[in-house]
Amino acid sequence: MNPHIRLGRGIVVAALLCLIPAAVFAQANGGPRMDHENTLPPTPTGPTPMAPDGHPDLTGLWNGLADNLLGVPNQMHNVGIEVGTDTTRDIHSGVQIATWPLQNRKRQNNEQNERAATLLRRMGSNRPIYKPEYWQRVKDFDANSNEEDPSNNCMPAGVPRMGVPSYIAQTPAYLVFIYPGQGGLIATATSYRMIPTDGRKHTNLEELDGTWNGESIGHWEGDTMVVDSIGFNSTSWFDQLGGYFHSENMHVTERLHRDGNTLTWTATIEDPDVLLEPWTTTPRVALLNPDPKAILPESLPCSERDFAHVVTKEHH
Amino acid sequence: MPIQARTIRARAGRAFVIAALAALIFQVARGQSNYSKTNATAKTTTGGPADNPTKSNPSEVAKTLQVAAEAVGLARWSGVGGQRLPEVDVINTMEIWASGTTYGSGSPNKSSESGSAFKTEYHASLGYNPPAMRVEMTRTSSGGSGSPAPLHTIEVVREKYAWDESEIGAGLIPGKGVATPAMASANSRILELWTLPYGVIKAAVAAGDKVTMSTENGARVLTFPLSGQLAGVVVKATLDAQDEIAKVETRTDNPALTGMATETEYSEYADHGEIATDVKSPGHIVRKQAGHPVLDLHVKMLDANNPYLVFPVPENVKKAAAQ
Repeated sequence: MNPHIRLGRGIVVAALLCLIPAAVFAQANGGPRMDHENTLPPTPTGPTPMAPDGHPDLTGLWNGLADNLLGVPNQMHNVGIEVGTDTTRDIHSGVQIATWPLQNRKRQNNEQNERAATLLRRMGSNRPIYKPEYWQRVKDFDANSNEEDPSNNCMPAGVPRMGVPSYIAQTPAYLVFIYPGQGGLIATATSYRMIPTDGRKHTNLEELDGTWNGESIGHWEGDTMVVDSIGFNSTSWFDQLGGYFHSENMHVTERLHRDGNTLTWTATIEDPDVLLEPWTTTPRVALLNPDPKAILPESLPCSERDFAHVVTKEHH
Repeated sequence: MPIQARTIRARAGRAFVIAALAALIFQVARGQSNYSKTNATAKTTTGGPADNPTKSNPSEVAKTLQVAAEAVGLARWSGVGGQRLPEVDVINTMEIWASGTTYGSGSPNKSSESGSAFKTEYHASLGYNPPAMRVEMTRTSSGGSGSPAPLHTIEVVREKYAWDESEIGAGLIPGKGVATPAMASANSRILELWTLPYGVIKAAVAAGDKVTMSTENGARVLTFPLSGQLAGVVVKATLDAQDEIAKVETRTDNPALTGMATETEYSEYADHGEIATDVKSPGHIVRKQAGHPVLDLHVKMLDANNPYLVFPVPENVKKAAAQ
């Protein structure tokens, strides 16, 4: 076969493969299509079911479109940019951002599209404040993320980068969180967490081997589940983008609050070794899958095959 | 970057591939159609010389700002993930590396007196949300072997706070560098941010119906007032034939706002990034203040990819501002 023809077919197939996960994901959700025209979080509807102990029942498939990693809209909202019908604002600073009507969008090719997405994902003001000696390292990690991002080698995302769990099972003594393998922005293997809520205390940090997810224990503060985690390795990054590295002394406090069919998640990162002050993510609002028969699809193995073909520093 | 194995499902069926290609072709065709209509409208309203109108049509101003924003890659959208968001301003943080000449004392705040020329290495880190800028310069006198050692300065501003750093991030951790408050320079430093091409477009959009448009020597000119701590300063921006900001002039009638009469010329626009962003920046910047030259710089590189740049205000600077 003519090698040029083969290459051309390869490009077409690759382009189509990149498009498939979005469609598959949407179908698996049984939810709305992904053609968002805004980044507004979903509005809660319906009652909040309660567990026998009187706390909200978080059990459910939380893989609505509010927190997947595939589309730019939610990635923009995750960094605090709220695009409405004709206005855009940074929800942390309140700054209004210039917006031009949807129908006036300038035509662009795939390359321009990806470059724009890279900018859009980084335009928010909610950034962790590192100690000055680490400012350059964060910049370098982000600029060289094709090589440096641990998720590009199929490593686990870890806590809290993995975000909102796609499935939660709540028992009187444990929470079980499941995170299916994700494609799109970052690609990671399926992961799970078993989180005691029986009142136990953390193991001494010195006795813990640093891991991707750390040691987590949960407790209720009113109607909010608070998951406290320590005992991490220093390999993962703590947000989807940005090169946000951390030390083994990172302490993560996740808060999960159910309101009807929505689940709001935030994580606060404390790491006095590298950060000047604690940092809290932009709240992410996941939507309950309304289909009682819905199940998580199988996540097939993550396989790195692209890196040998990367020729520039352009990245997600 | 790794391809999830589940994407292998995509190999199912030639019919699906054909359907997907057909959908793509339809979307592209629709996009071309929309763009053609928009572009045609913009050219009609902004392309020809006007008779120097004193009152502008708001829609003409809005369209001119949009084409100016698109010309430098500030107004962008992305269809990744199948979304249909409008165009938004994507520029927040950036870094500029340049070299050239600065004049006078070398400080933009003291350069109203025309003076010596200094060979200058220039590095600016800036952000618009929040508005902040850190300018690091190394100036070398061109006086020969008897000249003093190169002068290295780091001048920072964040909104109303201004300070000088002995090293990057000085004063944030006890014992690590010195941050010297420089409140009197806050307005002139923040003005540099808002007179960059991106700042001009952002400020003009924020000025809303206060923007007027006219023509001078066949070129479109936008005039509008700044607000906030720069209230009282009026910006006059001239666009070139490529819709890029070619010249920015600022003036004020307020005697309290000293050092606000500036004139900056921008030319040689290109994507100067090591990592391509499609954000165009001027390659040559020439600035005057009160009629005297301040700097003449050639841009070596610009990182417009919203890099990690932060501007926390040291506690001693906050205290100085409160006094």
